[in-house]
Amino acid sequence: MSEKVMENSVKEFIKDVKKALPDWLKDKKEHKDILADLEEHIWTKAKELSETGQATQESVHKAISHMGSPESIAKEYKKRGTPKVYITQEMWPLYIRVISIVFAIVIALTILAQVVSAVFEGFNLGEFIAGLVEGIQLGLLFSFTIITIIFVVLSMEGYFPEDFKSKKQLEKEKLAVEHGKPIKPFIKPVGEIIGGGIQIIIGVVFIIQPFPVTLLNPDFLLLLRIFGLFMLAEGTMDMTRGVIGNRQPGTHQVIHIITLFIKAMIIPFIIILMNHPELIPWLQYDNVTDTFINIGMSPEFYDAFRWGMIAIIVIVILTGIEDIYKVFKIEKYRTK
Amino acid sequence: MIKRVKGLDPQFQDYASKIESEINRGLSTLCILSIINQYGDDGVHGYQISKDLLDRTNEMLVIEEGTLYPILRKLQDEGIIKSEREKEGRKRKYYFMTDYGIKLFNYLSGFYSKLSEAIASLFDVNVHLKQDRYLYCPMCANKIELTNLELRYCDVCGHNIEKELHERGLIK
Repeated sequence: MSEKVMENSVKEFIKDVKKALPDWLKDKKEHKDILADLEEHIWTKAKELSETGQATQESVHKAISHMGSPESIAKEYKKRGTPKVYITQEMWPLYIRVISIVFAIVIALTILAQVVSAVFEGFNLGEFIAGLVEGIQLGLLFSFTIITIIFVVLSMEGYFPEDFKSKKQLEKEKLAVEHGKPIKPFIKPVGEIIGGGIQIIIGVVFIIQPFPVTLLNPDFLLLLRIFGLFMLAEGTMDMTRGVIGNRQPGTHQVIHIITLFIKAMIIPFIIILMNHPELIPWLQYDNVTDTFINIGMSPEFYDAFRWGMIAIIVIVILTGIEDIYKVFKIEKYRTK
Repeated sequence: MIKRVKGLDPQFQDYASKIESEINRGLSTLCILSIINQYGDDGVHGYQISKDLLDRTNEMLVIEEGTLYPILRKLQDEGIIKSEREKEGRKRKYYFMTDYGIKLFNYLSGFYSKLSEAIASLFDVNVHLKQDRYLYCPMCANKIELTNLELRYCDVCGHNIEKELHERGLIK
């Protein structure tokens, strides 16, 4: 009977420790090992504390009390990482990465919301900028608070970034570090060169305009030239990255940031075009004069046209987010 | 230690206990390393470490025994110690120092010894370092055992210790 009571006391204590242990100690084998070590320790101590050399109810209780509380044991496991303003140094890079990505998404969504609002409620530069500033301010403040609280809690629990990775991924990274190679190339040079080349060609065509222009609206031609300039610039950036290849990660990061600015500058011009569908040429063959005439887009297609422009803006924003993501993704190659 | 005393002014007891734990925190890790280091290739299991910790410090350095295992895990994660489980019998886990751990322990042990000697006068106590057995690197305080007289450089900071060996008449 007494043996059963003793065993229950030990099991109860071990169960409480198990409950209090942090979640990142997820490896079942390790969990089992930790608890087995503690149990072994209690029984050895209980035998030593007993005068007969055999554990007694009293000696088991004493041994358990010497162990400290389950919470203090768990707390010791959670003491992991180097403190740095409430968030540990180990978690800091991940915190910065997450906050940057979320900030980029917040900014992108605010721009998108403003664009949608400009489409349906009419474009007013003052309102557009005011809406942008207000939306971005609120979004950043809210996301900053939530993310910071999450990371402070994770730091207090002793989490490390690798606790969020699978065993397979960790092994892969370890192998990559051992061989001194990047995990995988961060760009496909040929793809970048071809893509950049196509953009440059289209950009040059838009700028030079080697086609009959007399039928087209001069404002439309001007917008086309502006788009051509942006495409030329962006294509050059992509091609440069392709030529550099999987080297000079810092240069890649700078190019991505420049590309991001180029993309941000395109958006207002797309909005202008979106709000002036009458500029879009619609050529029809005229049997009387035996030539093409520009009759302009029919108003019944205006809505479809606007949605098309919104889709283009969304794509531009998404590719901009991808640029930000790549800036952070490439960061780890800089230290290698 | 102060926690054991009953009936003390709570503010005094809290503050004293806080400082006591701060002093103990680093010291207990150092003492644990010292115990593991002393067992050398034989290794030592967790229970023996906690027992030695009490016995060798006259029960002055008290740690909650359950908290020993997270400390050991951390030291193992940092490559300072390694462990091996018994293949038969009670299948206890035995802990050993790694080469890196030995180097680190020698440095920390030297630093702590020199620090104790330096601050001894503040507490009106005497600390005598075993200068006949060890040389403390003048540059980084690393503890160098004088059994290996072939050694000419501190293995932590690379300082040339020939001058010190010469002064002690250990080399010509």
